[in-house]
This record gives sequence, C-alpha cells and structure tokens, in this order.
Amino acid sequence: MTGQGIEFVNVTKHYKDSSQGKTPALQDISLSITKGEYVGLLGMNGSGKSTLAKLLNGLLKPTDGKVYINGLDTTNIEQLSEVRRLVGMVFQNPDNQLISPVIEEEIAFGPENLGLPISEINRRINWALQVCGLEDKRYHAPHLLSGGQKQRVALASALAMLPEYLVLDEPTSMLDPAGRKELLAHLRVLNKEEDMTILIISHNPEDLVQADRLIVLDHGSIFLQGTPREVYANAKMAELGLDTPAVYQLINQLESNGYPVPENVKSVRELVDYLCLQL
Amino acid sequence: MTGMKLGQYVYGNSLLHLLDPRTKILSCLLVIFSVIITNNLYFLLFLVVLMAAAIISSGLSYQLILSGLLKLRYLLLFTLVFQGFLTPGETVFMVGKLSMTREGLILGLINISRLVILFLGSMILLMTTSALKLSAGIECLLLPLRKLHIPIHNYTTILSISFRFLPTLFEEATIIKNAQKSRGAQFDSSNIVVRIKSYTAILIPLFEASLVRAADLGEAMDSRCFTSHPNQLRLNRLQIKRRDILFLIPMTAILGAGITISILL
Repeated sequence: MTGQGIEFVNVTKHYKDSSQGKTPALQDISLSITKGEYVGLLGMNGSGKSTLAKLLNGLLKPTDGKVYINGLDTTNIEQLSEVRRLVGMVFQNPDNQLISPVIEEEIAFGPENLGLPISEINRRINWALQVCGLEDKRYHAPHLLSGGQKQRVALASALAMLPEYLVLDEPTSMLDPAGRKELLAHLRVLNKEEDMTILIISHNPEDLVQADRLIVLDHGSIFLQGTPREVYANAKMAELGLDTPAVYQLINQLESNGYPVPENVKSVRELVDYLCLQL
Repeated sequence: MTGMKLGQYVYGNSLLHLLDPRTKILSCLLVIFSVIITNNLYFLLFLVVLMAAAIISSGLSYQLILSGLLKLRYLLLFTLVFQGFLTPGETVFMVGKLSMTREGLILGLINISRLVILFLGSMILLMTTSALKLSAGIECLLLPLRKLHIPIHNYTTILSISFRFLPTLFEEATIIKNAQKSRGAQFDSSNIVVRIKSYTAILIPLFEASLVRAADLGEAMDSRCFTSHPNQLRLNRLQIKRRDILFLIPMTAILGAGITISILL
C-alpha cells in the first residue's frame, strides 16, 4: 500500500456509544481516489458521509480496516501530522473553523504549526490569498466577512499547507447562493489548474454536478458509484429520496423519450447548445 | 451592542497609539509598581496629572473615561470614609462616637489616588492598543518564561481565540435574546428578579452553543496540525523604534526617582 492516492481497505467504523445492536456508521467500505480526481460524496443524513471525511485525516480512526493516504496509515501517530498536511479540510460551519482574529494569521496558522520559516509563511499567505481572491481582506477580522468569504478563508488556510487532497464537508450548506457559486468556481479552478484532488460532501445536488465521479452512501455502505450521468440515470436513486440536479432531470426525460444526449453534456447551458445544434 | 464602550480600542495616530505594545505594557507595569510602593501623596497626585496629560494627548474621549470613573464613586467614597474613621490620630470632627482623623483622611486620599491611577493607566493601555498588538506584546514579554517549561504559547493561543470569538458570541447572544424575546421573555421587566431570571434563558443556550463551537474548533485546529508554537507572524510585526526608547527612558527615570524618594523618606 504505497504510492499515490487515497485508499480505503475494508473500513468499518463503530462509535463507542452505539456499538451494541446498532448498525455501524460505516461498514466494510473499500474505495480508492486517485490524484487529480474531483469526487462528490452524497447520501442522506446519517449515511456516514462526515464519518468518512474525518477518517481521511485521522480525526477518527477506523474500528476495522485501514485508511492509507499516499501509502501512509492514518492510525500511525508518527505519520499523523504528514497525513493532516496532505489532506486539507474545510468544514461546514464557517464560524467554527476560523481560529485567529485576523485573516492573515488564520492562513499562517497551518504553516506555523509545520514550523516553516517566516519568509515561506509570507510567500504562502500571498499565494493562498491570491488563489482564493481575498487579496484585499488580508488584515480584516473574520467576523466582518460574509459567509462565502469566510468559507474561502477556510479554503485558503487549508491550501496554505500545500495539501494534495482537499476534503470539504458540506462547505456550502450555510452559504447563500452567491457564496456557493463563488466557492464552487474556486474549487473547479483548483482542480483543473492546480491539479488538486477534491472530495466534496454535499446535500445540494447542484454542488456535485462538476464532479468527475459520485459516490453515494446509504446506511454506512457504498450504494452507487459512477459519473454523475450514470448515477443520476440509475433508477435506484429515486429510492434514496435524493434530489436530482436540474440538468440530469432534463437529460433523463429526453433519453426516456428517445432523444439521446451525448456524455459530455454536463450543464444546462451545454444541453441548450446541444439541442440548438440539433434543431 | 452599539456605541463606544469604556476600555475598547479607539483607532488613533497619537504617540501613545504608535508606541510598541511592549513599551506600553512595561510603562503600565512600572506605574502599577510605583503606585503600590509609594505612599507619598504628592508623587501620586503628580502621576494623576501625568495620566490626565496622557489621555488628553492621545485624543481619547475624557468624558467617557470620567463617566467610567464616576461609576466607581461609591468604592472611592467608602475608601475615604473607612480610612478616615478607622485610622487612629488627630481628630478633625466626630460623628457620634467615631472620630474622623487627619491621618485617616490623608491615607484615604492616597488610596483613592492609587485606585484612580490604576484605573486610568489600564484604560489608556487598553484604549490605545488593539487587542492583537496587546496579545503580541504579552506573548513577547512572557517568552522568557518558556525556559521554565511554562506553556506560554498555549495561553496566548487561548487569548487570541477569545479575541476572535468575542464578537461572534455577542452576535449569537443578540440572536438568542431576540428569539427569547419573541417568546415572551421579560428582559425589560421592572422587577429585577424577573429580569435576572430571563437572562438565564440567554446564558444556557449560549453556553451550550459555545461547547459545540469548541468541539468544532478543536477539530479544525487538529486538522491543521496544531502544535504549541510561537506566533511568529505576529511577533515579527513588533518593532522597537526610537520613539519607544525615547519614551521608556524618561518614564523609567521619573518613576524610578519617585520610588527611590518615597522609600528614602
């Protein structure tokens, strides 16, 4: 188990207080995520999504099985700090993950923990601010920013540790539509231009449209896996009660009425363009 | 949560605003030290004047500070009255069987000016130094204690997290207050017992929410490899300039002279 990527090998996770008689939070999960992928993780409440995210950087340890990040075992205490550097995390509530009274220090927090010299810290602050479009907010206090900006600060401070994987646990659920769009646009740029591997967890199906692959969890097991197109075309999705993004509702309707749509159509605009060409 | 509050940092460009926080903290400590040591009324009065001059020169609102001082009037009055009656000495006048003494009055005045100086000194420090600079100054001054294996950086991290979360908690308290108001909590009842009881309806949810916040924050800090470390970036911003030295030398000279004189007398 060495090399690149994230590897889950038969991972089961029980929480101490619910181990008797109840189903585990995660049951026998095996999956791998390769570098550069953009993966969406979805499922109902209690399906184990957040547990899976916290297993990724060793915040939680698997009860059974192993989690490897670039071949590093997350249960190995000596490697934990490297695992956490490799896997950057952005959490749901923007207010509860910002630690410092100034944006600049917030971004410096991770690099300072890594013991980097001040010149390198400054270089990373400048880079992270620029990537997340926050150059003018360097000396601001976090409570004066909007929700979307706070979430971008959280993103910038994760990026300042130069992670290879970025895990976002419902990052958009407390944002307004504008803040959501901003954040998603930044994620797409990071994935395409900086080759960042992204795992995003969300309740909102529209957040996951730009993913390369979707993983659907149900009651602690992997229920479905595949490209968004495959997953949303699957009839079993309706059983779970998860919403389908507008573009895939349209595609599904078209296809069931005998109008095939090519695989590369991934947004309503692309669908409109395609249909206009056909007419 | 509107309007200016006593002790809150006020943005400004005066000499006192520009000084390094360490200079200000050290001067403040010197003042406290000399106030405790000395019992020379004239020296204390001189310090009161010095404080007043500092307030005026730094452009702080003296009305605000005076009104804060007025809130302490009962404490100050009690100090004077008790010292006056309880110190034996030459009687000035009698109230029943108690005699107000001359020595007592002087001692009372000394203690009042001590309290006033401590109050003014700390107000000047707080109102001319931003929270961030203040904690950087404290961190830097405490650094030597690290040699005694005291985890300074943990304390300064706690300090800095509280600076970060105070506004957030105020915001949350306002939301909870409005929520409880809309359900009929009587925050403006004329009965003080009812008023205090309704405030528990804010405190309990606020406390509960803070615990959730703390757990989340802990995870966020762990995710970024939290270890106890010096706050390099912040410390790096501190600079002792010429004006700091030019300020510290006369301060030390004046206070040192005052202390020596009062010990010798």
